[in-house]
Amino acid sequence: MELNMNREAKVISKNVDVFYGNKQALFDINLEIFKNEVTALIGPSGCGKSTFLRCINRMNDVIDICKISGEIEIDGFNIYKQGVDVVRLREKVGMVFQKPNPFPKSIYDNIAYGPNIHGIAQNKQELDEIVENSLKKAALWNEVKDRLNEPGTGLSGGQQQRLCIARAISINPEIILMDEPCSALDPIATAKIEELIDSLKSSYTIVIVTHSMAQAARVSQRTGFFHLGKLIEMDETDKIFKNPNNKMTQDYITGRFG
Amino acid sequence: MSDDHIVKSYDEELHIINDAIVQMGSLTESLLEDSMNAITKMDKDSVSKIVESDKKINKFRASIDEQIMTLLVKRSPVAIDLRLAISTLKISQDLERIGDLAKGNAKKILPLPEDDLPPEMLNSMRRLGEAVQKQIKLSLDSYLERSTEKAIQVVKDDEQVNDLTKISIKEVLDFLAKDKKNLEFATNLLFVSKNLERAGDHITRIAENVYYLISGDYPKKNK
Amino acid sequence: MNKELRRKKRYQAEKRFQVYGIIAISLAIFFVGILVTKIFSDGTSAFSRTMIKTEIKLDADLLGITDINNKDEVENADYYTLIYDEFTKSIPFSNDEEEKQIITLLSPDYEYEAKDFFLKNKDQLGKTVTILLTASDDFDQLHKGNFPRDIPEDRRRLSNFQLQIYDQLVKENKVTKVFNNYLFTKGDSRDPELAGFGGAIIGSFFTILICLIISFPIALMAAVYLEEFAPKNRITELIEININNLAAVPSIVYGLFALGILLNVLELPRSTALVGGIALSLMTLPRIIIPARASLKAVPPSIREGALAVGASKVQAVFHHVVPLAMPGTLSGTIIGLAQALGETAPLLLIGMVAFVVEIPGSPLDPSSSLPVQVYLWSESAERGFVEKTSATIMMLLGFLIVMNSLAVYARQKFEKKWN
Repeated sequence: MELNMNREAKVISKNVDVFYGNKQALFDINLEIFKNEVTALIGPSGCGKSTFLRCINRMNDVIDICKISGEIEIDGFNIYKQGVDVVRLREKVGMVFQKPNPFPKSIYDNIAYGPNIHGIAQNKQELDEIVENSLKKAALWNEVKDRLNEPGTGLSGGQQQRLCIARAISINPEIILMDEPCSALDPIATAKIEELIDSLKSSYTIVIVTHSMAQAARVSQRTGFFHLGKLIEMDETDKIFKNPNNKMTQDYITGRFG
Repeated sequence: MSDDHIVKSYDEELHIINDAIVQMGSLTESLLEDSMNAITKMDKDSVSKIVESDKKINKFRASIDEQIMTLLVKRSPVAIDLRLAISTLKISQDLERIGDLAKGNAKKILPLPEDDLPPEMLNSMRRLGEAVQKQIKLSLDSYLERSTEKAIQVVKDDEQVNDLTKISIKEVLDFLAKDKKNLEFATNLLFVSKNLERAGDHITRIAENVYYLISGDYPKKNK
Repeated sequence: MNKELRRKKRYQAEKRFQVYGIIAISLAIFFVGILVTKIFSDGTSAFSRTMIKTEIKLDADLLGITDINNKDEVENADYYTLIYDEFTKSIPFSNDEEEKQIITLLSPDYEYEAKDFFLKNKDQLGKTVTILLTASDDFDQLHKGNFPRDIPEDRRRLSNFQLQIYDQLVKENKVTKVFNNYLFTKGDSRDPELAGFGGAIIGSFFTILICLIISFPIALMAAVYLEEFAPKNRITELIEININNLAAVPSIVYGLFALGILLNVLELPRSTALVGGIALSLMTLPRIIIPARASLKAVPPSIREGALAVGASKVQAVFHHVVPLAMPGTLSGTIIGLAQALGETAPLLLIGMVAFVVEIPGSPLDPSSSLPVQVYLWSESAERGFVEKTSATIMMLLGFLIVMNSLAVYARQKFEKKWN
């Protein structure tokens, strides 16, 4: 098991509690996510893994009754400090969702939307380049380069998901959050996404929530196991799947409770 | 197996594999005993029985291989289940090798010596055999009870087996020096001692695998 | 066996249910059929107008024109006397009573018709020309076969003498039917043959336009705010419930409101499309807000999340993505809401749009009528000519409603397909 010895923590979660109204969804989450690595979050449904993921780009802000305490630091900066610009944060932390959700616009416009609202491109030519590069990075360019003006919703499920990844990287984020990105895809499309995740790892820090333990084992370097809103165990993926420390982790990954 | 899987048939498959190893182990254990008896008592007639039960052991090995393969395909086991699958595969392999060695030993007595053998030599041979039998019993117990202590004990006991092997070989060499007539038979006895030592090594590996199965790690060599 | 029996019963129940359904639908179609047939059989005749052909000498002296190029003289020439003299001359009569009966066969607007004709044919001055003049309502109805002739004279609208003239004119092939363009171009009139719903259409148009201009943006903004931005608390819940209640408030209440506030307090001009439009927009607001909110709600949250995740602000996410996606549903809701407003009568009655308006309104600030009010007005009139006009107006109204509803369906299907 070769490990990058000088790992750098990109995201640090300190004592994060999340409440939905009166119900506590996350209990005192403390963890580190390392730069240029893939971190997988696993756990049964409703365990809080997605909730935690959505804390990292403050997507939970959208929900009125959601209250968060504790700190999440990205590059040492607490994103829950008062006065943090959520729009700037999300420029830095992209997100890909469970169900591919391309905008009902052309493929080109799907990618160009982010750069447009952030004013990243100075002119049309630059925008074209961003679109092309994003699609290339998402391994979709060759499949769609001749039909950039066709609606993004007309692509296959796997292509749509890669379009969403391209959309996420179009604004050049540092962290990409993926919320069960393959749960709606067939195995081939899943394999393509996993290959893509592998290739993106060198430039981005990736956090992926997945229900497929095999997928977590395949794509991630570190895995965190959540249960009932608590982080039960977080360790090297190898360790988790060969010999986890915690009995609960073992029971979950071996299919002994649901 | 502490808790049950959500999928019951998964548990059943693991149980079947577990039982197969236990059966295969006890079969190997008695095969080893029979082969030691054949040697110390020069009982030529039991050889064919020993060959038969070695065949049985080989069949066990093949069937366990098959079951593990199916398990890997169907269940993609992880953690404890994965370790069980991998170590079971290895244990069955070692058991088969032990069976082969025991069978080989029994066959060695087929060309019977003309004279009586010196009792000291047979005694040291018997002591070696008993040590190996004790070792395999302990090793199988450690598997059955999932006991790391017993597994470590097996590893420790290997030293003793090695020492006993040295003594036994020395006795055979003495016997050989005294009586050149039994050259062929005495040479066979040398192989028997060596084979018993190798069986001991396989038993040690079984114990190591049991240790790995339980703890996810191999026992430290210098303990 | 029991099982067999039960299955049979189940199939029978299914069949029975289908039969009930078919009966219900057939009944509905039957009644709609009766309604439509009645309206069409009454109304189609309104689309034609009976004309009487007359030979007239365009006598300059009679007209009082000395210089054909004098605009003023031509404008104010005595067309009345011209037609009166020439028409009565063409038919023999024996006393003043009969002369009067002859001239009443023509619609009172004959002088204007003659003027129109002359202005187009100035070179015919002094010559004898054949001119078509609109017949009076009674003559018109007689020709369309709506008046029975075999009842006593005192119960008829036309005298024996007039019937003789009619028969004579028919024999001479001087009675013809033309397409009734007056129906579409004229305002209301006391004389059915001259009355049209042109004014009502324009009035309705202005009313609906005002209604659209006021209600659509307000409703859309209200829906967007309530659905996307408003915090979910007691107050917004209360507002929600009340919007739903407003949609159920009888329309006449909105009329009372308009009467009390717009006319009495703000003193806006009575009988105008402006006030009518405002009253109707109050009524239409909840009817647009509700479908607009429904279609906003129907936009999958994943679209909002997708936009937010690339760093769009809330407003950007809503206006760049959610609102365009909700547009087809909102628009079809709006069109249906406007269609309801188009058919609304009660509030317009209260704010005085029930007035008798001859002029075609030129702006929303002019007194005007509207199609449903016109139906109401004409259905109250005694003349036989208004019966067919009422039906014709209903046909027109139904036509507009069908067009608007199909537009709504089309908008929804066409655009929703595109978005998905």
